[in-house]
Amino acid sequence: MSILLHEVNKSFPNPPTQVLTNISCEIKLGEFVSLVGRSGSGKSTLLYIMSSLDKATSGSVKIGGEEISSFTQKKLHQFRNEHMGFVFQFHYLLPELSAEENILMPARKNGLHHQKREYAHYLLEQFGIKDKINRLPKQLSGGEQQRVAIARALIMEPTYLFTDEPTGNLDTANGEIVMNIFKKLNLEKKTTIVMVTHDPDFANSATRQIYLSDGKITSQAV
Amino acid sequence: MLFLAFRQLISRRRQTILTLAGIILGTVAFIVISGMMLGFREFIIDQLVNNDSHLHITAKEKFITDDTLSTFFFPQAQHVYWDSPPTTRKDNPAITYPTGWYQRLSKDPRVKAYSPLLKTQIILTRHGKSIAGQLTGVDPIRQQRVTSIAKYIKQGQFSDIGSGGNRIIVGQALLEKLGAHLTERIWISNGRSEPIPFKIVGVFETGVKAIDATTVYGSLSDAQRMNQTLGQINEIGVKFNHLDDAKKASDDWQNISDEKVQSWDQVNASFFNVFKIQDAVRYMMVAAILVVSGFGIYNILNMVVTQKRKEIAILRSIGYEAIDVILLFFIQGVVLGILGGVIGVAIGYGLCLYLATLSYGGSPSSTGTGLLMVSFDVTIYIRAFTLSFFASVLASILPAQAAGRMTPIDVIRSES
Repeated sequence: MSILLHEVNKSFPNPPTQVLTNISCEIKLGEFVSLVGRSGSGKSTLLYIMSSLDKATSGSVKIGGEEISSFTQKKLHQFRNEHMGFVFQFHYLLPELSAEENILMPARKNGLHHQKREYAHYLLEQFGIKDKINRLPKQLSGGEQQRVAIARALIMEPTYLFTDEPTGNLDTANGEIVMNIFKKLNLEKKTTIVMVTHDPDFANSATRQIYLSDGKITSQAV
Repeated sequence: MLFLAFRQLISRRRQTILTLAGIILGTVAFIVISGMMLGFREFIIDQLVNNDSHLHITAKEKFITDDTLSTFFFPQAQHVYWDSPPTTRKDNPAITYPTGWYQRLSKDPRVKAYSPLLKTQIILTRHGKSIAGQLTGVDPIRQQRVTSIAKYIKQGQFSDIGSGGNRIIVGQALLEKLGAHLTERIWISNGRSEPIPFKIVGVFETGVKAIDATTVYGSLSDAQRMNQTLGQINEIGVKFNHLDDAKKASDDWQNISDEKVQSWDQVNASFFNVFKIQDAVRYMMVAAILVVSGFGIYNILNMVVTQKRKEIAILRSIGYEAIDVILLFFIQGVVLGILGGVIGVAIGYGLCLYLATLSYGGSPSSTGTGLLMVSFDVTIYIRAFTLSFFASVLASILPAQAAGRMTPIDVIRSES
């Protein structure tokens, strides 16, 4: 189930701004791709379009050969829930829920939270925060909060993991922990990862880099 | 979503308590205001229904016109004109054919008892001091079957009036105004005849000032003699086995006689108009309170929706649909409505219980206890709960819809 983008354009009307211009690329299953570029280059917009959170103004986005725009809302939500994980620059954890409850939120949507509890504990153990299982987000450090957010993104064992500047808010040590998690995930679980970053070191951790400038793909490197 | 809704309510304790306080206040206000208003109303209706006849048959007042006199004085004259046409009321209106009524009432299975009356305006005089009043001539045995006047006798007995002998029972307030006392004789005249001495053989107090300060009960024959209308009556009071029969009988009998036939609710229509106004005031007050508390809920939920934008975004991105987000906030409104309603009903009930123990400074004989009259009608509590619940639900619809309209990308873009 690769992701295929063909001639994707994205513009905003007020003020008229062309963010993406004729973007065509393919993200193959099991790949770890980083989207690199300067601020305003359109990398985040591209990530949101290929992950179905945003819509392209024109062009085609296909997942597994199926046009995303043809998905019904229900199917789109189900697809996101079962096959996609998201990690943003800000953790967006629900402040009233414990670390474990936050991780299990995607599973709760389908009533799978009881079955997934053991896996949540496994992920927390893997990320070195098993002892923080019952803590509220405000009782965790920034790095720990981001690791909980990653665990939440992985609880449904998604095919794709979309991450937007996941280390942007972390110090170097915590940034490296997060990057190691992604690398291990891609290596062991074969999870397809698309990561937006402006940090060249972290970008080089990916198996492929796509460089964007002024809304266009300028080069790709493996 | 129930799980998360509860967690959010618990986590923002202060906002939840403030919102609940608004709903509780509205519910309690409705219960207390309604309890007191309806308590007073029940008392008044009880007074009207039990202390008086269920139905009054009264002689119609007739007016003299130019035709009345022209026909009498000039039956043959074709061209008689009045410079100043006569306009006045015929004196001493009386029921035309009382015996017919007695027969009808005796045979009607709905009728429990009836009592012929002669009511007349009088002047009471004691040591040169005169006060206007109304003498109600009754058959004391029949009158006690039709009304519960015997219950309000403070001194003497209602039957002491007897069937003649110029004995009267006087309202307590009237007695005080006259400065008279039991067994004393006072002079009564109808304004046209010479004053006649009557002996006070009893005192009553209904608690209704208008009655206690003006009414005097005497025997029917004494009243007829004093009024110089022997054998005449101007009213028949009727008691029914079932209260509801009064209205039906009033409609039936109105068309078959010259007399005015009015059931208890028609006689006291002005009271019911007051009750309607009371209802309107009550609902307006409560509506105002509920609108205020509804706006409170709306504002707080709106604020919460704005504060929770990021959480809404992540919920949407992990597969939760717009309806789930709407439900998240709607459930909070419903829970607050139910909780606020239940607590409000409990506090309202407790407050009403307390109010019912307070003395309002009135006469114990008027309410039986002298305490505040509070209604505990179950419909008050059902209405209070329903109103506060729906106010909460309505107030939470708009914020919930606003939350449902948020897309993850809008929130993420505005945050980055």
